[in-house]
Amino acid sequence: MAMTLTPMEQFEVKPLSGMDHPLFHIAGHPIYFTNQSLLMVVVVIVASLFLTLTVKPGRLVPTRGQSMAEASYEFVANMIHSATGEDGLKFFPFVFSLFIFVLFSNFLGMIPGSFTVTSQIAVTFALACLVVLMVIVVGFMKHGIGFLKLFVPHAPWYLLILLIPIEVISFLTRPISLSVRLFANMLAGHTMLAVFAGFVVALGAAGGIFAGLAIAPMLLIVAIMLLELLVAFLQAYVFAILTCIYLNEALHLHDHH
Amino acid sequence: MTSREPDRLRELGQKLDDVQRRNASGSKGPPPSQLGIAGRFATELVASLIAGGGLGWGLDWLCGHFGFHTRPVFLIVFFVLGAAAGIRNVMRAANEINAKMASKDLEK
Repeated sequence: MAMTLTPMEQFEVKPLSGMDHPLFHIAGHPIYFTNQSLLMVVVVIVASLFLTLTVKPGRLVPTRGQSMAEASYEFVANMIHSATGEDGLKFFPFVFSLFIFVLFSNFLGMIPGSFTVTSQIAVTFALACLVVLMVIVVGFMKHGIGFLKLFVPHAPWYLLILLIPIEVISFLTRPISLSVRLFANMLAGHTMLAVFAGFVVALGAAGGIFAGLAIAPMLLIVAIMLLELLVAFLQAYVFAILTCIYLNEALHLHDHH
Repeated sequence: MTSREPDRLRELGQKLDDVQRRNASGSKGPPPSQLGIAGRFATELVASLIAGGGLGWGLDWLCGHFGFHTRPVFLIVFFVLGAAAGIRNVMRAANEINAKMASKDLEK
């Protein structure tokens, strides 16, 4: 019995069955409602329901759900406060939405058989571009043209010819490193899980003594699954804290040297 | 018993304040793991090369569009600048991590 391992199959974006017709066209390109679109809608709905249904004002002793919702609120508020200071709290809704979206995407992607939205570079890059555009807009609104001083380090003028392009490139690096970090972590984790799951199937199919050995990769999957749950939270946290750090730079120019 | 109540409340309040202060100052979430640090450096470096190379490639394309044949020049120059930016980013990240670890040590 031939077993083909296809660990990358889980990342395939395809139209949902029964929705083979494109929803509409943008510049001639058909736009489908894919499994990815579905999961993003699910993420938004689940996150909204979780945050609204669990919290009831005026309850003296919070329920478990309410404690979790409040803890996530305080966690993000503390993060913004420690990274950007008092005036960064204006951006709480932005950072909180980002954090919750990435967190729920990662966690819902951990459910076997579902789809990990954040393992698509298109999604993470779009989120990262949103962050960087936000930083640029905030920077220009706060400092006007003086925001460009972010690209001018303290150095003699003949070095500036070299240093300014380097600073500009270093700024342009941000959306790439922000998106690649999240995407690569999710992709690597889920590929690893699928590869080990493939071992279990292959060993079980081999039968005899090999079937007994299948328990080893099975146990490993459990361990990796736990690690992936940690990574899911950690990457959402890293995404949010880096957003805060970039916002801090836009708000208070040149504190990072 | 009733006279001791305010004292106990004040003690509790003080403890709560301490906890809050500890949360506010240093502990910005989990400490970076070795693998996390390595991954961070790698992405910073690679992302800078991509950004620099991409920018140079785009400039070449733009110049070609207007009839100047600069094809490999900007790509090469900006790739080197991207490498420089990458090293700068890694140095900055290392400084951040050092500062974080130093503040963690101070707390202990």
